[in-house]
Amino acid sequence: MGGVTPPPAATPMVDEKRDQQVDAQRDGKLGGKLYERVVHAAEVPWVIVVWNDPVNLQSYVAWVFRRHFALDQPTAHQLMMQVHTAGRATLAHGNREHMERHTEAMHEYGLWATVEKAPR
Amino acid sequence: MKIVAVPSHALGPGNVGSTGGIGIGSIVVEPDEARVLVSLSQQMQSLLADALEIGTETDTAVQRLLPNAYRDDPELADEWRRFSRRGLIERKIGFARTLTTALTPVAADDAEGTVSLTTDAALDWVRGIGDLRLVIADRMGIVVDGDDARAGEPGLQDLYELLAWMQDGLVQLLEAADDAALEDAP
Repeated sequence: MGGVTPPPAATPMVDEKRDQQVDAQRDGKLGGKLYERVVHAAEVPWVIVVWNDPVNLQSYVAWVFRRHFALDQPTAHQLMMQVHTAGRATLAHGNREHMERHTEAMHEYGLWATVEKAPR
Repeated sequence: MKIVAVPSHALGPGNVGSTGGIGIGSIVVEPDEARVLVSLSQQMQSLLADALEIGTETDTAVQRLLPNAYRDDPELADEWRRFSRRGLIERKIGFARTLTTALTPVAADDAEGTVSLTTDAALDWVRGIGDLRLVIADRMGIVVDGDDARAGEPGLQDLYELLAWMQDGLVQLLEAADDAALEDAP
C-alpha cells in the first residue's frame, strides 16, 4: 500500500472469544481449588491475519475492514496502517470455522488473509 | 469516466434498485473505456474458469487471487481448498460477469453511457476491479511495496491507474451509503 505514517499503538481486535474467556476464568476456580477444564476443539483459539500487499489501495483495505468486521472508522484505519507498516495484522480471533469464514470473505475482497493458531 | 454519487438525502429505503440494494450512484463510461473493461472482465472469467477446470494454480496471478489460507499446515490448507475453492472462484467469476453485463451495451454504443449502481452492484464492481488490479500487477511484476508501476508497458500502467481511480471512487460511494445507513439507524 502507498503512503507513510507512524506505526499504530496497541491494536484492538474483534473479540469473539471474550465472553468465553471470562467464563473460563470464572469456571477455573471453584472454592479456591483449581481444576482443569476440558477444552472442546471448537474453542481452541485461532486468528485471522491479513498481510500487506502492494496492490490494494489503503482506502480500500480500511473500508473492507470497516465493512466486514463492523469496526469504527479509526480502528479500521489503525489496523490498515498496521498491515501496511508491520506487514500483517490480526483482525479477529475465535474458533477455526469462524476464522475460515472471515478468510474466505477477505479473499473475495482480494485481500491476502490466512488462518493461524492464536499465540499462547 | 466519471463516478457520480446519489445525493445523501436520496440514500433512503425508498430508493430501491432493480438488482437488489439501494441505488447509491452511477458511473459514466466512454465506449472505449467500456470496451477495454469488457475485454478485461471476459479474460478474468476465462482465467478463473480455467483454474476451476485445472484444479491447481500454475499461474502466479491466479495464486494471488486464490491464496493459501494456511501458511504452515498443508493438511488444513488442502482441506480448506476442497471446501472453499470452487465457491470462491464462482463468486469471483460473478463479479467479473457483473462488469461485463453492465458495460457491454456501452461498449457497443458510440456515445458515453451511464450505468446505475445499487449497493449490490457496486460491491461486485469494487471486488471485480480489485481482482483485475491483482492480475495486472502480477503481469507488471509488482510484488512488494515500492515496486514501480512505471516498469510495465505504458498501456498496462494506464489501465492500472484507471482501475485504482475506479476502486477509490467506488469505495467512496459505498462509504457514503454506509454512513447514511448508520445515520438513519435508530
